[in-house]
Amino acid sequence: MDILTPELVPVIVANGASTRVESDLEGRFKIGDEIIVRNINPEGHTRLPQYLRGKRGTVKRDHGVFVFPDSNAHGKGEQPQHCYSVRFSNVELWGREGSPKDSCIVDVFDDYMDLQ
Amino acid sequence: MNGIHDLGGKHGVGKLEVEEDEPVFHHEWEKRAFGLFFGVAPHGFFNLDEFRHSIERMGAAQYLNTTYYEHWLHAYETLLIEKGAISAEEYAARCAEVAAEAS
Repeated sequence: MDILTPELVPVIVANGASTRVESDLEGRFKIGDEIIVRNINPEGHTRLPQYLRGKRGTVKRDHGVFVFPDSNAHGKGEQPQHCYSVRFSNVELWGREGSPKDSCIVDVFDDYMDLQ
Repeated sequence: MNGIHDLGGKHGVGKLEVEEDEPVFHHEWEKRAFGLFFGVAPHGFFNLDEFRHSIERMGAAQYLNTTYYEHWLHAYETLLIEKGAISAEEYAARCAEVAAEAS
């Protein structure tokens, strides 16, 4: 456990504290991959919003490796894994109410998706 | 969890109010609620994900009727009692003391 010192407080207040993990772990996806989000409904903590589940998108960016919130919230360890920016068309997310000109880019963890 | 916190795409929650010159804190006590995070979280009482989850576990009606820092306060109460740092009885007793001082 890192100890918080008085010197660190202004830094963390200004910038936040990252959960990034330095790791050479390989991700399951690469930029441009067409993915489908898993339809998971865990009773515990997850950072996967309901409106994304079962939707198809394209991986736009790999942010690197981070602590996995779904396990870390329940004493199941950090399970570090890649987190990606994934682009979803608004028509994919919202059907005919979604503008065909617009899209949403959402950060999605490795364990939340599969290749299409 | 599929809780009320997951508001993305929901209808019926009203217009997003954007305050002009929004202050960082709206009440003095919110500063203490914010500062308390640094007093407890880094010392092993809970991590950020447990903190978020404790807010998600709030009842739906309570969640929607309380403010951002009231959610934080709820998280401290929930986690510090669950982790055994304080007891529910100690907490209730202290709340009663504070209420008595204020009245």
